[in-house]
Amino acid sequence: MLVSDLRKEFYDVIKGKRILVLVHSDIDGICASKILQSLFRADHILYTVVPVKTRSDLVSAFEQHREQARYFLLLNCGGCLDLVDVLSPPEDVKIFVADNHRPLDVCNIYNGDQVRILSQLGEDEEVPAFEDVFREEESEDEDEDSDEEDGKRRRFDEETLERRRARRQWHQQRHKIIFDYTQFSYYGSSTAMLMFDLAWKLSKDNNELLWWAIVGVTEGQVCERTEQDRCVLATGSLQGHVSRLNHQTQDSQPLDCLRITFEKELKLALYRQWSLVESMRHSLYASTTLKLWTLRGEKRLQELLAEMGLPLVQCRQLYSGMDVNLRQDLRSLLEEKAEKYGLPDLLFPSFSASRGFRTKVGAADYVYSAAALLEPPQKDMTPTAAALDVADCLTVGREEVLERGIEGSKQQLSAIYRQVQTFLDMNQVISAGPFLYATVIQGTPDAWFFSAPHCLTLLARFTLRAHVSVSRGRKSGALPLVLTSPDVRAAQPDTCLVCGIPPTSEDSRRNFFGKAFEQAAEKTASRAELEFFDTNIIRLSVDDRSKFFDALISLLS
Amino acid sequence: MLSEKALELIKELDRSKDGKLPAFNEDIIRKVLEEMNTLFQQNQRDVGEAAAGEIRYFPSIHLRHAALDRNKRCLLSYLYNRLERIRTMRWEFGSILPADIRANLCEPEIQWFNRYNKNLASYMRSLGEAGGLDLTQDTKPPKNLYVEVRCLRDYGEWEVEEGDTVVLQKDTTHYLPLAACHHLIRQGVLEQVE
Repeated sequence: MLVSDLRKEFYDVIKGKRILVLVHSDIDGICASKILQSLFRADHILYTVVPVKTRSDLVSAFEQHREQARYFLLLNCGGCLDLVDVLSPPEDVKIFVADNHRPLDVCNIYNGDQVRILSQLGEDEEVPAFEDVFREEESEDEDEDSDEEDGKRRRFDEETLERRRARRQWHQQRHKIIFDYTQFSYYGSSTAMLMFDLAWKLSKDNNELLWWAIVGVTEGQVCERTEQDRCVLATGSLQGHVSRLNHQTQDSQPLDCLRITFEKELKLALYRQWSLVESMRHSLYASTTLKLWTLRGEKRLQELLAEMGLPLVQCRQLYSGMDVNLRQDLRSLLEEKAEKYGLPDLLFPSFSASRGFRTKVGAADYVYSAAALLEPPQKDMTPTAAALDVADCLTVGREEVLERGIEGSKQQLSAIYRQVQTFLDMNQVISAGPFLYATVIQGTPDAWFFSAPHCLTLLARFTLRAHVSVSRGRKSGALPLVLTSPDVRAAQPDTCLVCGIPPTSEDSRRNFFGKAFEQAAEKTASRAELEFFDTNIIRLSVDDRSKFFDALISLLS
Repeated sequence: MLSEKALELIKELDRSKDGKLPAFNEDIIRKVLEEMNTLFQQNQRDVGEAAAGEIRYFPSIHLRHAALDRNKRCLLSYLYNRLERIRTMRWEFGSILPADIRANLCEPEIQWFNRYNKNLASYMRSLGEAGGLDLTQDTKPPKNLYVEVRCLRDYGEWEVEEGDTVVLQKDTTHYLPLAACHHLIRQGVLEQVE
């Protein structure tokens, strides 16, 4: 059932009761859970928060905590699964779902009572009508009864045949509708934003919650999950909130409090915490446009810096070591030269936070840091502990966790860059017909970084853009990419993670690989685990890899 | 020197000011009591003679009397101080003392502790309407009725008042009444999140 008024149908319902929150280990989900936690604390609603990473985690967590509460809230997980089927909740349990994954399962949308969906569906999202998907099954029983009455003789009169034909046709139609509906998987608007709206309606919003909502929305932007126009809308509404909550001047408020500013931000990863040259090299957009892994690319970069008047020595040092006036003019200088060097989208509207005398940190920096904390290079951290780390990094007063995340993110980005360089130097991105294909070789020391979904997707996007920028033909721009990497973090040996991303030429970020992987795995009966909530990533056994890919090629061509 | 041993007892308590109770020093107490006895005997003898008019013995009688007084004061302050520390321990640790502290108490001290427990319990029961008020819970006024805690290791099910149970799994976060999880925070199973 779709919930329209969050306040009446969700918040007022759980006031005074206990609720169990199952949150997916992604940044948007964790931000949403933090916003909700602070709301619950204000109203003394008892809660328990359990981080989950995969479908089996969700099911086992639900089993364990089954008896504990009457109300469950699923954040960014479970929207695309038939929850009543998968979890089989007891009768009086109500499950609220706030998921930014689409398409939402039709059984969840049309469930009368137990499953309530809090996410708002956009205008462009079409859900199949109820009549097309569900139907009373009485006619089936009638038929069977009449068959039995007559004994062994089958009835061949017009009516029964007509009914059977109509039913078959309806089933075929239904199959087609469901297939069209679930073919492409994409993301809706951010859940953290939804929770912030709820806080606003309850008049309990403040700058902290707003910052968490901003980080949640920025994740969608940085990881290229949400569509462009939806990003713009979200940024616009966030800007309204920022100006409402931050209009007081510096002097009237204590210096220690959080101040958020809206400004045009550079699409350079972590440039404030790194040196300018390093940051350009490791950012997806700048690096692939200027082709910084080639010699010519390096020369172009030096030309650009020289034209802007920035001394090379300073660009190679830490950003905070650059001259103050250079730092202040950096954005305007880059804006001027960006067109000439083919970087028109270098600036994008975003938010940054400053507290006291610390340096400003941008929302994108938080996203990179949290992403690195979610998939730490240490071997002994469990995914749940990593999720707690991310929650800490977003908390006020825990800046050392944020800094640790930024260092980790630098390592991650360097590993990605090295891998992309390897791919392109040794021409390992091969065309397999309907898609491009690349594989991280077993035994690469950086493979530890890539056996995590988020980092793998980032590597895939970087590789695809880089390949498209160096390849001569027009064709590679229209091909999607499938990337596999050995999964060294998994418990079972000899598994690999497979990730598929849509082509660069398409504006829409809809991904058909979820369904494609599922069908290919079924056809070849491979040992594939479609575990992750982001359906474009699956875990596959290495032995089944070749037949899986053959099936995939035949499916997509 | 007279009453040096008694000073030993005081110095021992002074050195262990960080709250740990040293073992009950029966040895030194016995020695002090012996010293007091000898002084008293000597005094008794001399007083008998002084009462007969010999003024020569007065200073020595006074000296011994002063030493006796000093010994008595030291002993009494030693015993009283120990009892005070035992009392603070009741407020800190609850009605059951840890085994290593219990080993340092002598038998009468343990009996005193039990009687103190009974007194405190009956007093607390008489406060408030239903069943009394546990005064040893929060010595300072609590900032919050409920507290957000994070579970550090798997503990299993834990019952909160009102009959609800919570499954304490590693790395889960809970928001529970402070009274219920106070004990677990002490133990280290839960960690409070600021």
